[in-house]
Amino acid sequence: MTKRYVLVHDENKCIGCQACNVACRSENNVPESVTRIQVRIEGPYGNFPNLHFKYNRVSCEQCEDAPCVKVCPTGAAYVNDDGIVSINEKKCVGCLYCIAACPYKVRFINPETRVPDKCDFCKESRLARGEDPACVAVCPTQALAFGDANDLTSEVSQLLDSKNHYQHKVNLGTKPRVYRIPSRKGGIKV
Amino acid sequence: MKLDRRTFIKGAGAGTAGCALAALPGSIAALGSVTVQGSEESVASSCEMCSTRCPISARVVNGKNVSILGNKNAKSFGGAVCARGGAGHSLLYDKQRIVKPLKRVGERGEGKWAEIEWDEAYSLIAENLNKIKAKHGAESVAFSSKSGSLEGHLFHLAKTFGSPNTFTHASTCPAGYVVAAKAIFGGKIKRDLSNSKYIINFGHNLYEGINMSETRGMMNAQMEKGAKLVVFEPRFSIVADKADEWYAIKPGTDVAVALAMCHTLIADDLYDKDFVARYVEGFDEFAKEVKNYTPEWAEAISDVPAEDIRRITHEYAAAAPHALVDFGHRASFTTEEFEMRRALYAANVLVGNIERKGGLYFGKKASKYNKFAGESVAPTLSKPGVKNLPKIDAKRIDMVDEQYSLLWSSGGVYQSILDATLNAVPYQLHGWVMSRTNPMQTMTDRARIVESMQKLDFVVACDLYITESAAYADVFLPESTYLERDEEIKDKSGKNPAYYVRQRVVDTIGDTKPSWQIWKDVADKLGQGEYFPWDNMQTLQMFQVNKDVKLLDKIKRDGWVSYGKPLMLREPSMVNTFVSEYPNAITPDEDATYASHMSFKTPSGKIELSSSKVEKMAPGRGVIKYREVNMKKADELFFIQGKVAVHTNGATQNVPMLANLMSDNALWIHPITAGLMGISSGDKIRIYNDTGSEEGHALVTPGIRPDTVFAYMGCGSKNKELARATGKGIHCGNLLPHVTSPVTGMNLHTTGVKIAKI
Repeated sequence: MTKRYVLVHDENKCIGCQACNVACRSENNVPESVTRIQVRIEGPYGNFPNLHFKYNRVSCEQCEDAPCVKVCPTGAAYVNDDGIVSINEKKCVGCLYCIAACPYKVRFINPETRVPDKCDFCKESRLARGEDPACVAVCPTQALAFGDANDLTSEVSQLLDSKNHYQHKVNLGTKPRVYRIPSRKGGIKV
Repeated sequence: MKLDRRTFIKGAGAGTAGCALAALPGSIAALGSVTVQGSEESVASSCEMCSTRCPISARVVNGKNVSILGNKNAKSFGGAVCARGGAGHSLLYDKQRIVKPLKRVGERGEGKWAEIEWDEAYSLIAENLNKIKAKHGAESVAFSSKSGSLEGHLFHLAKTFGSPNTFTHASTCPAGYVVAAKAIFGGKIKRDLSNSKYIINFGHNLYEGINMSETRGMMNAQMEKGAKLVVFEPRFSIVADKADEWYAIKPGTDVAVALAMCHTLIADDLYDKDFVARYVEGFDEFAKEVKNYTPEWAEAISDVPAEDIRRITHEYAAAAPHALVDFGHRASFTTEEFEMRRALYAANVLVGNIERKGGLYFGKKASKYNKFAGESVAPTLSKPGVKNLPKIDAKRIDMVDEQYSLLWSSGGVYQSILDATLNAVPYQLHGWVMSRTNPMQTMTDRARIVESMQKLDFVVACDLYITESAAYADVFLPESTYLERDEEIKDKSGKNPAYYVRQRVVDTIGDTKPSWQIWKDVADKLGQGEYFPWDNMQTLQMFQVNKDVKLLDKIKRDGWVSYGKPLMLREPSMVNTFVSEYPNAITPDEDATYASHMSFKTPSGKIELSSSKVEKMAPGRGVIKYREVNMKKADELFFIQGKVAVHTNGATQNVPMLANLMSDNALWIHPITAGLMGISSGDKIRIYNDTGSEEGHALVTPGIRPDTVFAYMGCGSKNKELARATGKGIHCGNLLPHVTSPVTGMNLHTTGVKIAKI
């Protein structure tokens, strides 16, 4: 059975501390000027003193129906059985279609390799060693869960079964594999 | 000379032109290329990106990078590291880090340095210190170090040299809660956030000032166990956002709300009478004093509605004893710091949460734990010491006033170095040896620190970067980073005994030394080598474990070793587990606890809500009392500061990865206040008061009271050597006046400022 790797970001537990951002940069040698993941602390929204922040994880959504893969003329942007949207650097011709097509604006040109880059759930490094992605492993408040949603006993399956959650821009039909548990105080009411 | 921003920027412009910084003497950039060599296998060690010093697991990857993760053996830390911890390698090979000893070749603070060899550095230090000693006495040299940064070695040097004047950063950061705990409990106390059902928090921003086990513990209590969190803070911080209730309390009025809670607990008969009768001294005086501190009284002072204070207190008492009032960390909000921290402790004592799950508890080190167990569950460590040290007759410079006596053995009144240097109070200082401390950022009244450093005969700084303070040194000693150092085994006991150790992960880059080595070498040069009889860190570690090689190996291999089960003396379930685990354990009391074994190192042996000892030290302060304080002029705004998750106070602003995340600190201003002055977000503004003047940017946000402005501390360095931090943001220490709080000896961190658009 194929895997369906998903990531769940609990915005209640997230404190926007950027531990994920730094761990990812270190693990994946992401150059300073670009980023594979950051959590934007947005707001505060509301009227004083009834305020709330939003903790917005900005990273690849690992779409099941990925526009970046669809528009890639050479197959450099591809999806394997693991469902992770990946990049084959050798096939890339640098047309930038994928960057233009991404509705989440999370693909970028790596200034060192000069090909598109983005989060791949640490597929080549940590995942290959059977470890969680760097962001999940270091998260101080355990706001992130990662796993195979096809495994009904996995933590992610249980979270998705038991907690309200939402995905970004579902109306586009991209079917993101990053799920978000909205903050009790803000975010989208599901 | 007063270095204002304009003259500074002129200087910095000249300094940075043409990439002059690339050639900063002694830097890794000057060294040329760097290779990272070290263990490819994970090494258990401890972080030093902040003072929490989390257990980490680190290894060199492909000879060019260092992977730093949390050590999973330390359960309460959960294998996590924060952004600062994860960025440790970015500090390690930062081109601007100094890896060669330097001596000043221009004026103090001018930024002209020459590389020298260690031997020359040591000779310069020995020559100058001995000269000062011969002329003015050894006591005229002050030694200061951030606590936890091998400060014991520097202070040992001070003792052998003959100076009693040793200081940590305590009075600029955590001394308030420590001194108050000494007065009430006779020593430090811990909080069991992870098991708490109701947490009342007065601006202890654990979700930005991250202390990994406490941050995780509180989040776990909130999210998995349904704990309620109430936050009183003038700013909408992350901890305020995560709270169930947030009250934008007026700055500096926390003590009034805390006292009104104590009032309510007593007046509404919610307090634990048995506990108070058995363990508390001075309750009647305290009760008499708080009788007038009604919630209505507190509302008028703090802007927190009386009905909420009353309701929250009732909820808190209902959740007790598994509930706590967090006694906070870095302060101080007002000069009434001592009363404020004591009032917070009092609110815990009254509900009898001491040694109960979710309340407050004392650390259980091996010797204490073993005594209860009736067997040697955990090994005890020996403390290396040296006999026949020279006797020091001189008094410490902060011993002028008896009221600070609780602080003398806990770091001292750091800022008294300035009074002694500038005003010869109580006598003239002539030298200052500082290690891993940056008072220009963390102390107050920056101009006064510059003046002091200019006036001294000789200044030595040991650090990783030429910090704002180190910029005024005569000799700069580059310390190895924590990734390149071995250190002594540290006791990390909580509810049960635990140890861990810092170990070298990578080979030393450049020509740096760990500071324990540096101070030993200096002692040799001063002719005091006999007082440093150990060869190296291994000798010291071996002494600690009483030559138990297996134990040392285990601590090094696992990186975190804990023994036994968690024990809280008044928690029946824990005592029950403990007793069934250890057959020779002390027999519990009738109520199945160790309550009768609870003791306090106070004069009465009880918890002293009112203290005759304090009354003697500081007349009028024996009983906790509210006093009105004036922290700003009528036409000024309150200026408060706080921590951010991606930086450690004034220490990490130049670390590349962290500077990349945040290098500026805008001033938070409420839209109403900003509107009156025509200020919009991003506008350039001047922030000024009688102490200093700063330029920065505005961030207009509803997340702050209209009468208050806020900035994250640590930005706005003014020395040219910190290229990524210099001139960026508001320097908070330049706006805070030099005021020392009664009894705690703390610097003051709230003041008034005016703002103008420029």
